[in-house]
Amino acid sequence: MASTPRRLKRSGLTMPVVTPRFINNAWHRGCDYINMDLEDSVPPRLKDVARNLIRESISVVNKGGADAVCRINHDLMEADLNAVVWPGLMMVNYPKAEYAHEIQRMDGIITRLEAERGIRPGTVEIGANIETAVGVANAYEIVTASSRVMDFGGASGYDMSRDLGVEMFVGFDQFVYGKGEVELAARAAGREPHAVPFTPNITGSVSDPDRAFAEADAARKCGFRIGGGLHPAVVEPQIRGFAATDDEISDAMWVLQEYRKLDRTGETWVQVDVASVDREGSPRPMAADSYLGRHRVIDRYEAARAEELLQWRSRCQERDQEKAEAVARVNAAEAAESPG
Amino acid sequence: MTGSPKVRRSWLLCPVSHSERVSDAPAAGGDVIVLDLAEFVAEAGKPAARESLSELLVPAKSTGAEVFVQIDPELMLADLSASVWPGLDGIVVSRAETPEQVAAIDAIISDLESRRGMLPGSVELVLCLETALGNHNGYEVATASSRTWGLSLGRADLVMDLRPEPSGEIHLMQYLMQRLVTLASATGTVPLGAWWRFPDRGLLATPANTLAAAQRGRAIGFHGSFCVQPDQVPPLNAGFTPPESDVAAAHGLCEAYASATASGTGAVVLVDDRVLTPDIVRQAANTIALAEACSTRDRSKAAAVEGIPMPVP
Repeated sequence: MASTPRRLKRSGLTMPVVTPRFINNAWHRGCDYINMDLEDSVPPRLKDVARNLIRESISVVNKGGADAVCRINHDLMEADLNAVVWPGLMMVNYPKAEYAHEIQRMDGIITRLEAERGIRPGTVEIGANIETAVGVANAYEIVTASSRVMDFGGASGYDMSRDLGVEMFVGFDQFVYGKGEVELAARAAGREPHAVPFTPNITGSVSDPDRAFAEADAARKCGFRIGGGLHPAVVEPQIRGFAATDDEISDAMWVLQEYRKLDRTGETWVQVDVASVDREGSPRPMAADSYLGRHRVIDRYEAARAEELLQWRSRCQERDQEKAEAVARVNAAEAAESPG
Repeated sequence: MTGSPKVRRSWLLCPVSHSERVSDAPAAGGDVIVLDLAEFVAEAGKPAARESLSELLVPAKSTGAEVFVQIDPELMLADLSASVWPGLDGIVVSRAETPEQVAAIDAIISDLESRRGMLPGSVELVLCLETALGNHNGYEVATASSRTWGLSLGRADLVMDLRPEPSGEIHLMQYLMQRLVTLASATGTVPLGAWWRFPDRGLLATPANTLAAAQRGRAIGFHGSFCVQPDQVPPLNAGFTPPESDVAAAHGLCEAYASATASGTGAVVLVDDRVLTPDIVRQAANTIALAEACSTRDRSKAAAVEGIPMPVP
């Protein structure tokens, strides 16, 4: 069963913290999180400038309800952490993770900074991203190096393709082994795998809303719950793609209803003829997911999935409401401040 | 072919708590009947299922099938105590996760074999790596006991909640299947499984889909698979038996290679636009040997149905 993350991360935008128009507009994009970048999108000569912008940017990006996240530099970990671990920061993204001792060192620094800066212990999560072959080889040790590692994935993308010497945009999955190792490590450690099913992308587009929706929809149906992107055009399609449909909710309610019946029989599973239970006004099974065309299997696995889906919808609704209220508060405050 | 030459193409799971399923199972013609205590028996029914088990072992073999029992490792002592009796061929360990767990199971079986007059080491193990941790620890788990004959992913799609991708492939399964086949080869064990695709779930599929899954499974290295319904047994037997066309082609390759090398052509031979090397010929010989072993196994089961006792090859 999909494990639900502590904080929802259906959609997120990664942006250079040194670009004010991105940061200043981020709060009304509707994302679950904003990933302020100190790494690849910030040139070396601007690293110091960028670090000094993070503290004040946290409250800028999260005023619309998004969680503030920061991607630091692998080789500048300590300096970056000192600049980013401030109240309001939800997670530090650590790129090119290769060894457990790196994560343990991060954990130690974050623990010290939380104490010094009045942040409740354990608040700041670590997102560890695997982008090299060495990272793949050490995946399990990395994900288990700290209980702060709540987001674990990678083994694909530009850095991985460069490290392996493989092409980036092809019509097949060139990262099957690495992605499998990383996802298996996350699952074995009981952490949320940050993964998506393979969907071909031969253009490299980062702003295609149809593709963003298709990928989020496929990810949700596979049980994944984490998304993210680079362009504002993909935020809404991602949120929509990660939302359970009305049909799926009706189906989940039907599955649980049937499972409760099964529970009373002493059986562990049953096949239900979908046609015989399709009544108006009642929860309905989805024909598209049928086994043998018209039969559905009901067992503890289907019940667990249904239960998780209902909880997921509820959490999505709560999160959307939380963000809407935050945006409304900002709008009201700005209206009150504006002359006339 | 890796490991033991035993032909175990179809493994029909039967919940011990369902007497009619158990009594009907031999008629399905499976190579192995798996009396299940773990997956398909409700918690409340487990004590009664264990009590009845020892009397089910011999009748389950009436049509020549071998008999394994699937146990729950969390309940290993009770499940093994109920299962390890003369007539048992092996234990299927559901949700195998750690080498310590497998070593503990091995020790209990050894004790029971000793106390119940069974040949030491006669009970084999098939380990189902159905959880992420079990797969992660696969090599250590597979080498924790010399009894281990086979490895399977079991119902990993359900236990690990792996769902269909847009392509119809079950997410992560291609990686896990290749990993399991590699692990099995590295540890000298036999990989069991079939390449299931949506809408198949939890070893359950139509006979046609089961045949296709078995054929794909054989192509990537599996030697047999578990199933849930009796009508899946014939397609598993068929799908894991080399087709006659493959066997005829294999004979042709072996004969052509023998003829060419006898005439002094050398170790690498060009026959009908194909380069033949010793490895290719060995693979062809394996196909022939497997086909013969399957044929022998089928004759043995047919003899059992006729009441003629024959040893399991």
